[in-house]
Amino acid sequence: MRIPDPDPDARRVILPGHAAERLGIDRRRFLATAGTSLGALALAACDSMGPRSAQRLLKYAEAKNEVIERALLRHTSMDAPPRGAMAAGSHFPSYFVSKTVPVWDPAVRGVWRLEVSGMVRNPLTLSLEDLAALPRTGYRLDHYCVEGWTAVATRTGVALTELARLAGVQPGAKYVDFQSFDDDYHESWDIESATHPQTLIVYAQDGHYLNAAWGAPARVYSPVKLGYKNTKYLTKIVFLPERTGGYWSDRGYEWYGGV
Amino acid sequence: MTRSMKRHHPIVRITHWVNVVALTIMIGSGLRIFNAYPAFARKGEIFCCYPFEHRPIPDRLTFGGWLAGARNWHFAMMWVLVVNGLVYLAFIYLHGEWRDLVPRRGIVSDSWQMIRFYVAARRDHPRQGKHNALQRMAYFAMPIVGIMAVVTGLAIWKPVELAPLTNAMGGYVWARYWHFWAMLLLVLLSVVHVFMVFTVDPYSIPSMITGGYREDLSPEARNARPFIHLLPGRRTATPHTDAHPRS
Repeated sequence: MRIPDPDPDARRVILPGHAAERLGIDRRRFLATAGTSLGALALAACDSMGPRSAQRLLKYAEAKNEVIERALLRHTSMDAPPRGAMAAGSHFPSYFVSKTVPVWDPAVRGVWRLEVSGMVRNPLTLSLEDLAALPRTGYRLDHYCVEGWTAVATRTGVALTELARLAGVQPGAKYVDFQSFDDDYHESWDIESATHPQTLIVYAQDGHYLNAAWGAPARVYSPVKLGYKNTKYLTKIVFLPERTGGYWSDRGYEWYGGV
Repeated sequence: MTRSMKRHHPIVRITHWVNVVALTIMIGSGLRIFNAYPAFARKGEIFCCYPFEHRPIPDRLTFGGWLAGARNWHFAMMWVLVVNGLVYLAFIYLHGEWRDLVPRRGIVSDSWQMIRFYVAARRDHPRQGKHNALQRMAYFAMPIVGIMAVVTGLAIWKPVELAPLTNAMGGYVWARYWHFWAMLLLVLLSVVHVFMVFTVDPYSIPSMITGGYREDLSPEARNARPFIHLLPGRRTATPHTDAHPRS
């Protein structure tokens, strides 16, 4: 119903029942404003993924966040779990993408070897014995899972900087891809995170060689990356001029995944 | 309009509604992230201070669809929240609005009088300025809890690169817990705020949209407490004769 009287005060007298008009606001404008705000909220609520058109905006925000995360990365920032924190021990979660625990069967695939290749002067092929013979680095570290849990474990292995030095990484290598025999699982990193002093090629956890549930024979681990960036069941470390995505990064998780 | 005046500056109105959207999305996506591990305990430990460990939040209260979706929303919307908050704080500082929001001497006894009025232990509405003493405390607390949410959020976003910040909160596990509490407090403040708007001063809703507000419909003028004297012109209390300080 349209009210012909343009005088807002008069209108208030005529229709005291409607809150908007009693307050001297045009009814349509009141409804439009309220509708817009409620509509925005309803849109947010009805589709739990949010509007599709927002995806580009979210990608943009992720790219900007990566700039900030890269700027925050310091090789001098070291992870140190609280003194009183208990080691997760056997409570350390096991996780892989294959249907069953990936196990390297030498009878089928031959002896496991880790390949260090790509933009390097001397590509390396290292057996577990070769790795164990290299200078050993160990830290008691937090593991930051993207899900929100943390777990403390002592990680022992070879610093990635040591492998990079032995392989002679070329200056154009800006990214590193960590590949595995857990189906097609891999994740690529920025070289700055890969060369953080706490980035290790881990072959032992809490003083024992890795078991199959935790990524045997070797995995990458760094507290500067979220769990999913740290490829287990490692087969190849490839230095590259460009990023190559990753298993979870290609499925919607942040590529950078810094901590 | 003779009896109307602009109650809220456009910047206050815009930042208010941007905040409604940003906070809603931050809380919904935050709860979805929380549901990926709805507990605080470090693996292999037991957490002392949360009675609902490993019990997820109902899905309909969450936003983002899945963990990655919720994270992408959370890490995008956080900038909207921060920039919006900074614009608001800068404005109320530069424009002098903070004087209506910062607690003043006598806030405790003024608040006590408001509580007495709300529970009908006092007959007439205490005198007030733009806001009553309880509003003043709530609106002062809101940005502080917001800052707490942002700082604890930074601590769990970057526990290694911003380790000193995270350690100051007792480490990652506790920072996550304080972040959760900041969210709970924001929800509590918002729920009470919305409840009071609808049951005491619904006439203030347009003032947050168009800016217009009629002082003759203020809760003080109507002598309104929750659900009581909602409609205008039913004032029964005697005019103010006490010399109660205006808050």
